[in-house]
Amino acid sequence: MSSFIERPRYLCALGGAMAAVTALPDTIPILHAAAGCAGNITWTQNGGSGLQVGGYCGGLSVPSSNIQEREVVFGGDVRLREQIAGTLEVIEGKLFVVLTSCVTEIIGDDVKSVVSEFQDEGIDIISAETGGFKGNSYHGYDLVLQTLFKNYLERGIDKVKGRVNVWGIAPYQDAFWRGNLEEVRHVLEKLGLEVNTFFTSHDTLEKIKQAASAELNIVISDIYGVEAANVFEEVHGTPYLVTPLPIGPSASDSFLRSIAEALSLDDSVVEGIIEQENKHYYNYIEPLTECYNDLDLQRYAVVIGDANYAAALTKFLSDDLGWLPELVVFTDQLREEQKPVLTQRTQGLESGLQPKVAFETNGSEVLRHLNEIRPTYSSGKYSDVFGPAFVVGSSLDRELAQTIGAAHLSISFPVANRAVLDRGYAGYRGGLRLTEDLLSAIILAR
Amino acid sequence: MTYLENKEPPKREDRLKTCITYGGTICGLSKKSKSCCINDSERGFSQGSICLLLPALGMINSLPDNVVLLHGAIGCGGCSHSQNANARSGGNLRWGKVKDALWLSTALNEADVISGGEIKLEKAIIEADRNYRPATITVVAACVPGIIGDDVDGVIERIQPQVSARIIPVHCEGFKTKIWATAYDAVYHGIGRSLLEKPENNKNLNISEFEKLEEKYKLSRTVNLLNVSSMGRVDEVELSRLLGALGLETNIFPVFSKPEEMYKVTHAALSISTCPTHDDYLVKFLEEKFQIPYILRHMPIGIENTNKWIRDIAAFFGLEQQAEKLIKEETRELEAALSEFKAFFKGKRVFVSAGEFRALATAYLLAELGFEIVGVRSFHHDEFAETEYEKLEKAVKNDFTINIANVQPFEEVNLLKKLKPDVFLGHWNGNGTASKLGIATHVIYNTGLSYIGYKGVYELARRLYRQLKNPLFNKKLSKNARLPYTEQWYKSEPFKYIKNQGGEADE
Ligand code: SF4
Repeated sequence: MSSFIERPRYLCALGGAMAAVTALPDTIPILHAAAGCAGNITWTQNGGSGLQVGGYCGGLSVPSSNIQEREVVFGGDVRLREQIAGTLEVIEGKLFVVLTSCVTEIIGDDVKSVVSEFQDEGIDIISAETGGFKGNSYHGYDLVLQTLFKNYLERGIDKVKGRVNVWGIAPYQDAFWRGNLEEVRHVLEKLGLEVNTFFTSHDTLEKIKQAASAELNIVISDIYGVEAANVFEEVHGTPYLVTPLPIGPSASDSFLRSIAEALSLDDSVVEGIIEQENKHYYNYIEPLTECYNDLDLQRYAVVIGDANYAAALTKFLSDDLGWLPELVVFTDQLREEQKPVLTQRTQGLESGLQPKVAFETNGSEVLRHLNEIRPTYSSGKYSDVFGPAFVVGSSLDRELAQTIGAAHLSISFPVANRAVLDRGYAGYRGGLRLTEDLLSAIILAR
Repeated sequence: MTYLENKEPPKREDRLKTCITYGGTICGLSKKSKSCCINDSERGFSQGSICLLLPALGMINSLPDNVVLLHGAIGCGGCSHSQNANARSGGNLRWGKVKDALWLSTALNEADVISGGEIKLEKAIIEADRNYRPATITVVAACVPGIIGDDVDGVIERIQPQVSARIIPVHCEGFKTKIWATAYDAVYHGIGRSLLEKPENNKNLNISEFEKLEEKYKLSRTVNLLNVSSMGRVDEVELSRLLGALGLETNIFPVFSKPEEMYKVTHAALSISTCPTHDDYLVKFLEEKFQIPYILRHMPIGIENTNKWIRDIAAFFGLEQQAEKLIKEETRELEAALSEFKAFFKGKRVFVSAGEFRALATAYLLAELGFEIVGVRSFHHDEFAETEYEKLEKAVKNDFTINIANVQPFEEVNLLKKLKPDVFLGHWNGNGTASKLGIATHVIYNTGLSYIGYKGVYELARRLYRQLKNPLFNKKLSKNARLPYTEQWYKSEPFKYIKNQGGEADE
């Protein structure tokens, strides 16, 4: 294992937490941190989140205690109390979430007791321990969900049939977070479910507060938000289902079937919806057929991404688009026990392909892994090179694409070279979007 | 004794009595002069800002053949994702090659916080040296090692003999200073201590007497033009053009400097700064150690400021006549080109926000274009800017609001609601508030755009014209987007949360 991480494709726990809190409706983060953390997070979003920065109270607008050397020596509790009081006067919000940072956690400020003073006054305020050294953005996202589930959701309410919560996509860390969540909501609503996704403009704090009334929690990630699902189950007794991020028709079919099974929905209804959605999908694909063939748009592919995307994109490329993804690289920091499930997601493909899987946090190592599969350049008259090729990854993988003469699309963080608003790749419609974007990248100079 | 003999540079609060809190008017500020905003005054409510790590990385990420090794938690230095765009385009403009900046993180975790990060750092340096074979490794220390007490300099000293890259420590513990301009000192400190020696293989031995004389003459006409990444390539080209017109060669330093060429900064005839906030630390060092005189006065933003900047340099070389000729021609041409814009700008109200020198110089430029200045926000205040306030006070007739704040959009929104400017110029990630109020906006700093010299005046005018001509993006946005402030706050006094002697309000 490398002793460093090359161009980390995520922020720290605080970064992921701040992004998540700013993405919740009417919610205000209060950073208990040195002054620079907010700026560092903002600059990172600016560079990697598909031109999205901030939110209602994000970026350099987030309240932050901006602690200094004095607090490091004498403690920051007093400053935090003052900062929260000021925030309540200046900032309009319905829920406030205090987030700790490296510095305040090492100096050991008693954040919980300061926060409880305000709770006692009836303020909706909670906190999370998100010191940067505790993990990366995805972990911070999970921690925010945990505190929300433990400390904000109403307890002891009745379950309502057909109500589900969905999470597993970290805002801003996935540039396509809004589009993906909307699309998952859309397919679930087709099943007749009432869906709470926490972070989209369809969600409200009122509904979030009632989230414990759901009969099922759906985590569309093998890693992100799974700990939070455990916490939810412990506190509110709601079971959860972990599924991969469904991209394209094949994955969406399985997704809907697994939800139907978990909720014991009527088979024929679900199959009917699946048929209808596929029909719709292929109705759009149909006129592509001539050019797809004439231009020979099938590709070998390297897929580089986070735990959600690397596996989900591989499945789509292989089983819907009919490409040949031969190498899948997971760029997250993962614990050993988290790896098998991800590897397994990339195997058992309908195409029969068995891509090589690498867990690699250093992007510049991808070429080495690729060279282990087959040559990336011709070495003689007859050579079975890796080409024509496509690199589906982040904007940091452009150098690799250039080196091997492949087309390229940024999807996983960082997405520096695309503007992303409501675009998403989840679901059936996401498969269409993705097909458009991949093929457009190939024919750019046409 | 120069500060460079110490391991770390002092923070600016101590060295320059820099401060970040003031609210009042230009007249009030000039009356109060140096005591205006007492060192170490605070805000009782504050918003997030940046730390010195960000501008420091802005510089370091541009260095070719360098690996940035961040020693800290995994998130510190994530800002490199946006700075990478500058590294890519800047490299392309200078050498025709697009290349990503290379930054690594030691990603300190919970276990490291308890047992210390020195061993991890040691390993990371060795591995980085082996994997990437860079000429230099800049070890950038963030908050965590500062608190847990890692001896970063000790590790570097210990490990240097084992690695071929030159290792440069840059101290950026964010919690230690609230003046992020300390970043420039930190980077200059690191470079100054380790990189200014002429490389051995560069010492040409067989060189004729004539060549020596030629070289000597050339050096007597070469100036260091310092750029800490506040200018993009277009601006460097503009200033080189103006200096070239006086027969001077420019050596641009330190952004995008090749490590083997950095020593050149110690051979020039003169160091020229474009902003005292950036460069005082280095120019004073170069004078003390290498007897290179310096000019640290005007920022060449705006017509009069550019004229003054040129005149200072010309006076040093005895080129006054050429300079006057150049200035006359340049300003004549520029004024003619500006006339159509000036008529349009006349009386339009403008508010600017940026680093102190940039904010003031840009305000001056805008006054030259015919705008009425209604407010200036500077990120900090120090002694260098006193003359700039005086200049501006003379140039504009009206009194206007001054706010010293390390960003703090809540103060800004309060002021903007009251002052209602036609256009707002703010720094990177600092235009959102004004946009959501429906005010026309323009970024006051972006390394892809032209701001400096005569060309900068014209290009900025052109861009402002464009923004004012159609501000509908912001106008429509303001009707549909919310700002996160309470009604009560809009009614309050804008500098309410500045404690003790920071503002006029306390008098
Ligand atoms: S932890 Fe410290 S060094 Fe890192 S971004 Fe925050 S203030 Fe800056």
